[in-house]
Order: sequence, then C-alpha cells, then structure tokens
Amino acid sequence: MARLLRSRLLWAAVILVALAALMPLWLSAYMLAILTGAYYFGVFAMSWDLLFGFAGEVNFGPTFLIGLGAYTAAMVDNAWGPPIPVCVAAGAVVAVVGGLLLAVPALKLRGPYFGLVTLVAVLLLQNAIVIFAGVTGGEIGMTVTDVLSIDADVNYWYALAFLVASAIILYGLSRSAIGLILQASGQDAVEAQALGFNVTKHKLAAFSISALFSGVAGAMLIFYMGTASVDTVIDISIGVQVIIAAVLGGRRTILGAALGAVLLIVATEFLRPLGQLNTFVVAAVALAVILFFPDGLLGHVLRAGERE
Amino acid sequence: MIGLQILIDGFAISALYGLAAVGFTLIFGVSGVLNLSHGGIMVVAALVGWLGAGELGLGTYLGTLLGVLAGLAAAYVTYLVVVRPIQRSRSIPREETEIFVLTGTLLWGIMIQVGMAYLFTDNPVTMRPLITGVVNILGVRTPRNEIMIAALCWIVIGLLWLLVNRTRVGKSLLAASINPRGLTLLGFELSRIYLLVWTIYGVLAGVAGVLLASFLGVSSNNAGQLTASAFSIVVLGGLGSVSGSLIAAYVVGYLETLTAYLIAPTLRPIPVLLLLVLVVYLRPQGLLGRR
Amino acid sequence: MSNNPPYLEVRGLVKRFGGLVAVNDVGFDIRPGEILGLIGPNGSGKSTVMKLIMGIERPNAGSVKVKGVEMVGWPSHRIARAGVGLVFQHSRPLHRQTVLENIKLALLPDSLLRLAAESHVDGRAREIARSVGLGDVMQRHPSTLPFADLRRMEMAKAIARDPAVVLIDEPFAGLTAAEVGVFSELIRGFRAAGHAVLLVDHNVKSVAALVDRVFAMYLGQRVAEGTADEVMRNETVRRVYLGGSLTAVERRASAAKAKPPLLRVGDLSVLYGKAQALEKVSLEVREGEFVSVVGLNGAGKTTLFNAISGLVPYSGSIRFGEHDLRGMTAGAIARGGIAQCPETRELFGDMSVRENLDLGGQHLSAASRAKQLAWLFELFPILQSRQAQTARTLSGGEQQMLAIGRALMMQPKLLILDEPTLGLAPVILEQLSKALERLRQTTPITVLLGEQNVIFALPHADRVYLLEHARIVWEGDPPSFAAQMGEGYL
Repeated sequence: MARLLRSRLLWAAVILVALAALMPLWLSAYMLAILTGAYYFGVFAMSWDLLFGFAGEVNFGPTFLIGLGAYTAAMVDNAWGPPIPVCVAAGAVVAVVGGLLLAVPALKLRGPYFGLVTLVAVLLLQNAIVIFAGVTGGEIGMTVTDVLSIDADVNYWYALAFLVASAIILYGLSRSAIGLILQASGQDAVEAQALGFNVTKHKLAAFSISALFSGVAGAMLIFYMGTASVDTVIDISIGVQVIIAAVLGGRRTILGAALGAVLLIVATEFLRPLGQLNTFVVAAVALAVILFFPDGLLGHVLRAGERE
Repeated sequence: MIGLQILIDGFAISALYGLAAVGFTLIFGVSGVLNLSHGGIMVVAALVGWLGAGELGLGTYLGTLLGVLAGLAAAYVTYLVVVRPIQRSRSIPREETEIFVLTGTLLWGIMIQVGMAYLFTDNPVTMRPLITGVVNILGVRTPRNEIMIAALCWIVIGLLWLLVNRTRVGKSLLAASINPRGLTLLGFELSRIYLLVWTIYGVLAGVAGVLLASFLGVSSNNAGQLTASAFSIVVLGGLGSVSGSLIAAYVVGYLETLTAYLIAPTLRPIPVLLLLVLVVYLRPQGLLGRR
Repeated sequence: MSNNPPYLEVRGLVKRFGGLVAVNDVGFDIRPGEILGLIGPNGSGKSTVMKLIMGIERPNAGSVKVKGVEMVGWPSHRIARAGVGLVFQHSRPLHRQTVLENIKLALLPDSLLRLAAESHVDGRAREIARSVGLGDVMQRHPSTLPFADLRRMEMAKAIARDPAVVLIDEPFAGLTAAEVGVFSELIRGFRAAGHAVLLVDHNVKSVAALVDRVFAMYLGQRVAEGTADEVMRNETVRRVYLGGSLTAVERRASAAKAKPPLLRVGDLSVLYGKAQALEKVSLEVREGEFVSVVGLNGAGKTTLFNAISGLVPYSGSIRFGEHDLRGMTAGAIARGGIAQCPETRELFGDMSVRENLDLGGQHLSAASRAKQLAWLFELFPILQSRQAQTARTLSGGEQQMLAIGRALMMQPKLLILDEPTLGLAPVILEQLSKALERLRQTTPITVLLGEQNVIFALPHADRVYLLEHARIVWEGDPPSFAAQMGEGYL
C-alpha cells in the first residue's frame, strides 16, 4: 500500500511541478514574486524537517543557519565581488560550520535545553549583525550588487528548479539507507547504538546537511531579492514561520514541509488586506493545526496508509 | 556618583526582572511548561492597566488592579486553551508534548503581540507613577516611584516565599514540583494544583507587567523581548529554581545596567547573551538548577 | 555444549554509581552453543552486568572479551559490530517503518556514504524474518502487530548480523504460556546455530528448562553458580531470594472471616501497550484482614496495586466498600481511604521528614493530625528523632518507614504495601515486621501486602494469594502455602 501511495505521490508531485513551471504564463509578476519567495522558504522548511525528523532535534532558531549563509554570501559579494556561485558556496561553508557548532550542545543536552540554545544562537547573530553595522548594514540591511536575474520569470524558474532539486535530494536522502539510520539515531539513540551505529557521527551529519541546504537557500534568496536584512532572514518570527510551515505540512515527510511553506506564504499574501492582523490569523490557524491536526496535511494522508 | 546611580538603578531593574522571572520559573518547576507567551501576558497586564488608569478614568491604583486581573485572565486562557489541551491530546506522542507546548505558547505569544498592537498600536505607553516626587539618596536623585516599584517587587516575592514555605497550600505546590505521583497517592488532585499554580503565575506576571509600565513604559513590541529576558535569566539561574532566578535576575540586571552606563546603551543585551552561551556550554543546568 | 574456547569471557567486573557498588567482582564464561542464565532480583546488578558487556555503561574495573578481543572501553556501537547482539526488555521498533525495514536496518553498515543498501540485504532480511516467524507480516507496521511478534522482531534484529554473543533481557516477560514455549524453541535454535547466549532474568524457574548453567546474583555479587537445579536448591539463594527456608507457620486466629469484604477485585486485566500485565485477576480483602500477595518481580503485583489506586487503565471491576472505583481519579481514590505505599516510595526527597508526614495528614484537622503524628512516632520512633532531616538523606530503611508513616497519616481504611522489604537489611526487616504486628494489633486497619520475600509476607497474613506471570495461581492460608508450595516455590 505504501508503495502504491508513493508512486501516487510521485505522479502528484510531477503534475504539481509541471503546473508550477507553467505559472509564468498565467500569473502576474507580483504573484510570481510571492511564489518565488515561497519556494526558497520551502527549502528552509525542508531543511528544518530533515533535522527534526531525522536527528530528532527541534531547532527553534533555523534562521541562525539561514542568516549565516545569507549574510556571508552578501558580505563576500560586497567585499570581493566574485561570481554568485562562489558567494553561495562561501555562505554554505559558514552555515555548515554554524550547524556543527549547534550540534555540539545538541549531543549533550536534552529537550528544552537544546531548544533554548538554538534560540540564543539566533539572538546572538541578530545582535552581532546590529553591532557590526559597518560591515553588515545593521538594522537597515545591506544590498548586493549581483542578482540572479532581473526577469521575474527567470527568477521564478531558478527558485522552482532549486526547490525541486533540493526536494529530490532531501526526500531521496530521507528514504535511503542513510535516512533510515538517521531516523533510528534520532528516534532511539540507545537502540541505534546497540545495532552498531555511531549516533554521534550521524547526528553531526544531519546537522551539516540541514545547515548546508538552509545556508544555500538563504544565500540564493539574497541574490534574488538583492538585499539582506535582519527582518527578512534572521528575525525569530521568520524562524517560527519555518516551523509552522513544516508542522502544517506534516513532520517527517520532507515534501510536506515544502507544501506547507507554499501554502503559508500564499495564505499570508491573501490575508494581506487584513493588515497587521494577518499574522494573527496565521498564528491562530497554526495553533489550531497543532491542537487538532498535529500530523499536518501530508502527514495525515501518509499515516492513514501506515495504519493498515 | 555614577557608581551609586548604577547601584540604585540596577537594583530596581533587577527587582523587576526577578519578579518576572520567578513566575516563569514557577510555571516550569511545577507545571513543566516553558511558557513562551510570558512576555505577552505581561504586556496585556501593562496595556490594560494603562487603559484602565487613563482612558477608563479609574485612576492609577484601580487601573493597576485591573491590569493585574487582565494578566491573570491571560494566564488562564494560556493554560486552558493552549497548554492543557496539548498536554491532554492523544494524537501527540508523549515525547513530543513538550515541543508542541513550546511551539503552541510561542504562537499564542505572537497572537497576543499582534493583537495588542492592533488594539493599542505599538507606541509605548507609560502608567502614571504610583508615587510622584523625587528622593535624594546620598546625592543621587531617584524617583520615589522607582523605590516603590523595587519595594513592591520584593514584597510580592516575599509573599510568594511565605506561601511556598510556610503554608500548607504552598508546600503542596513544592511537593508537586518534586513528585507529582507521590502527591496524587496522598489524595491531592493534581488538576487543581496546576490551576492554582497558573493563578499565582498570572498574578505574578500581571504585577510585573503593570510595574514595568510604570517604571519604563511598555509597548506591544516588548512581548518577545520580555520573554527572551525571562528565559535567559531562568536558564542562568537554573530552570525550576526560584532562588536561582532571583540571583540570576540581579546578575543580569546589574550586567545590563553596567553595560548601558559604562559602555553603550545599545550594547545592553550583549554581555548577558555571552554569559548565556558560556552557561549553556559549561553548566547547562544553570546556577542552582535541578531538572 | 562444546569444548571450544569461550565466545564471551567476563572477569572481575566492577561498577560503582557514586557510593553504591552495583556490580562487585563478577566473572563467567559462555562457550559457543551454550546458554547461561544470569539470575537475580531487582537491584542485584544483573541488568548492569548486561549493560557493561554491551558498552552502554563503562566498568570501573574488569575485562570483557568477545572471541578473545578485549572490549572494555569501546563505544557500544563498536561492540555491537564486533559481535554482540542485544534484545532489550522492552521492544524498540521504528514505528514509521515496516517490519522488513526494521530488520534491514540491523543489516546496514555504519556508513554515511552508502545511499542504497547492497542487493543482498533485502534477501537476507527476508530470510531472517522468516526464521523467527515473521514471514507473513514483513510488510506491516509495528503498531499493527501483536506483542509476541514485536518481541520476535527484536530477536531478529539482534541476530541479524550473526553475532558471536546474544544477550537477551527478560526473554519471556509479557508472553503467554504458549508463546513462552515457542520462544524457548527460538532460543534453542540460537544455541544450535552456535551462538553464545546470555539470558538475564529474575526468575530461575522460568528459564530453568532452557539454560545449560545458571549464575545467580544478589546485591552485585555472585551467590551461586551451577545447573538450574543446583542453584534452585542452594541455601544462600533461597535465603536471599525468598527470605529463608519455608518452615511451618503457626495458624493465626482470625476474626476477619466474619467481616464483610472491603476490597473486591473481579476479573481484572491490564495491558501495557501489548503486554498482558494482569490476566483476569480476582481477589478479595475483608475488613481488618491482612492479605499477602506473593510473587516474583514482574509477576504483576505493582500493576495490580496501580490499578486499584487508579493509576492505570484496566478492564474488570474493582469495588471498595460500596463504591465502584472505576472512573474515579487517583486522588479521589486515595481520599476515599486507600493509601498505597509504592515500591518506589515516591517520597518528596527535598523536603524534611516532618513535611512529608504533614502532607500525608493534609486532609485532617490540626488536632487530629497532631494526634496521628504522636501515634506514628510511637510506632516508628526513628521518624521522630529525624523529623527535621531531608528525606533524601535518610537510609533505605528509614525511607521505607517514612513512606509507610506518610501513608498511615492519611488514616486509611486500606493500606497497600508494595515490596516494602526491597533492598533492606535483615535488622530493618525485623523492625518493620514488629511495626506491622503492632499495627495489626492496635488498629482496625486492613492491609494488602505485595512481596517477593515470602518469609516476611507469611507470618502476618490471614490469607495468601500467589501471583505468577499475570495470573493468580494459588490462594489459601499461610500454613497451607508453606506446606504445598514450600519446595517448589522459587
């Protein structure tokens, strides 16, 4: 049954991606921009879900990793102006280092303590950026001279391609042998060790992969928007939205996180007429999901298959 | 003279931090909940208190009372609508309950912050001082209000101490934080004890919020920061330890005041964050932490 | 049994936790094709020995050699790879994966680079599944499987990589009599395949038929070694596990037969997840009676008491006096007159003795409480002298007295005591025994005692129930118990 579902899932995904690729034919540049941002957000959410589902760690500050990637790329570009891929790579490296730094306390701390560490990391990064405003542009942010493209359609396809590539890699990882080991390490470390797996090694790997994708997505987002600021890539509220997206879509499904991210961003957009209250409504809906549908959208569908 | 100024200002601010942090720690120690809407509850109390004192014409004292009641109401809603349903939910596996409660209170905190901004705008409001006038302490001109606030904080903390250590009800709260199962076997109804803790918590957060409005002013934007300060202090002092929180509150309060006066006001939060990192890496259970 | 060099050699194993010596100079060998039973009650150190072998804990001294290679100090995943398989007491499946995937996991190499499992892994996993009897359910998820199948899966995972040594913790816990037979065959199969097998259990009788040799432990040390028969008849073993030899017990005159039943338990069944912790248990305690429920660890005594106190869900009926206890909260049941002194005591460690007692007497008026406290201090004088001391710093015996005292402060109609003698020295046992005797003589209290230590449980009892593997297998009065069960009970 699960196999059938998976191939149904595959077909559904293929159709969705095909439809998405054709969107520029119908949608306005404004809507395309919304979706472009949403796609990068989708990668943020998938990276978070990988860490949660497969290392069993709740990262309350995903923007720490995202921000490291984004700001590093921006600063490298402004300082030396190398081609975009080099800047993105630099961002990725710094993000992975950050991920490993987070991994160290994760191996020693349990439950709420680790969550607090992740929150503290974000606060520190936020404050560091404000203090070193000279290089980082402080609260106002910084601009980058290079951008991916000036054409809305091209930017859209870049984002979509990146989302699809990330989804394939992350989802594939989750269903691979490594994914199985990671899940075991996250769910039951003692049992995983008794079965012969070096849990420390695998948790570090999970943090690195999550950091890599978060950092790259953050960097690419900067080169799409042309600016980097605390409000767009570091603020705790962004991190909360990432978590909401992953939970909405369904924890531990990877693909659900991408789905949840797109739905969340699009819904927030539609609620824009409400002004400030749109955040209120989104948070309220997310709370309702946690209370009544903790498995999320995709999670609910997939669990039904399991219970046979 | 600046030394004395730091001493006095630091004392008052630390007292306020202490009161705010003690509630946060109490809720964690007895109920097991890290309430990330803590700042939001304080803001509700502050803003409603200001509304009562000013717009509704109740005057400062009644306004304060109204504010505290609003804080209590907000705490009840947090427990009954957000925390308890998640704790009792059967669709959430037990290992994940804490995480879901954390996320739930975070979302609720955001809802409060945005809701308050919508109702009150995000302009800071200040409650009129409870006592006017200035006092001269060894050459430092200090508002009487500031002394009153510090005194009130300590009175409330003292009352809490009396409650927990000298009354039967208080001892049952202490016992609940040590061993809930043991308490159930002695015939206590845990659900009632939790309700009691949240009541005490609501009053503590309410008083802290209203006093903060009187001392420094409060806006809906402060909700997140207040929560962050409270949990920083509680982590430093040790999750679940009331005395730890008080000591940590003073460490943080003085560190911040020193930084603001001697280095730069904008760098206020930095030393505390660095201290937090050190603590988390070297002694994660904090100064006096138990769990 | 072979004369080949041993697969597992343990020598001089020592483990300390703070001041407590959990394992003290333990050593044994297991040859390929041999099954050794490591037996001991709770607190004997047997589980710790197993963890030391597996590397989950590191020993303070001693050596563990698998096929001649020293493993002390290695991380547990390395020990697992070197040829030690472990079946935990509680099943630990990955819930989101199928049975086949769970077994495949056990066959995977510890590599970050292999994205796909090698081609032979699937076939091998299927073979293993079939060999333990899971051939038909390979594609199902653990949550849909019955308890016994989950245990099979644990066995499959442990033997997947053909380890030299197989450690099995409490192999038959939660299984029905029929399933025990099937699993015994499985384990015999391991022996036939040449593995060295270590069975860790608290009950010699249950593994007697299966093991080649037994190593009995108590308080961290070896008390006996030999065949199952030899160990069961060993005087020291009988003394430490039972409390002594069962001599004839004096018949007590009891007026309780005339009184109405205070507690009536009917067809009580409790499931922990899938494990049958209690199966259709019925018993009765009359007003003023002292009833002992004897049974070894894991028989179900604690589950029975927790059901009565309202702490676990159950099917069946529990009536206390006029009331049906179903639907009442645990707090309400306690207020209604049932005080339980659990095996774990559940004291408020950071509070003083006096504070603990005061909490017990919360629901009394100040005057009654003072009177009750005075009476209690007469019963347990040591509590009076240590009133101000923090509960956590008391000795084991003193903590037990405090726990009982706290329960008595509730002025209960029914006092339930769960394994009060666990880990206590004989001198303390005598004090406790005397206190119970006084309690019986001076108050109308009804007592339900759960004990493994038969010597302690018999003298006070009006009636005895024997609980074995979740079922009541015998009931009657103490003299009959001594006569009928005497030799066979171990």
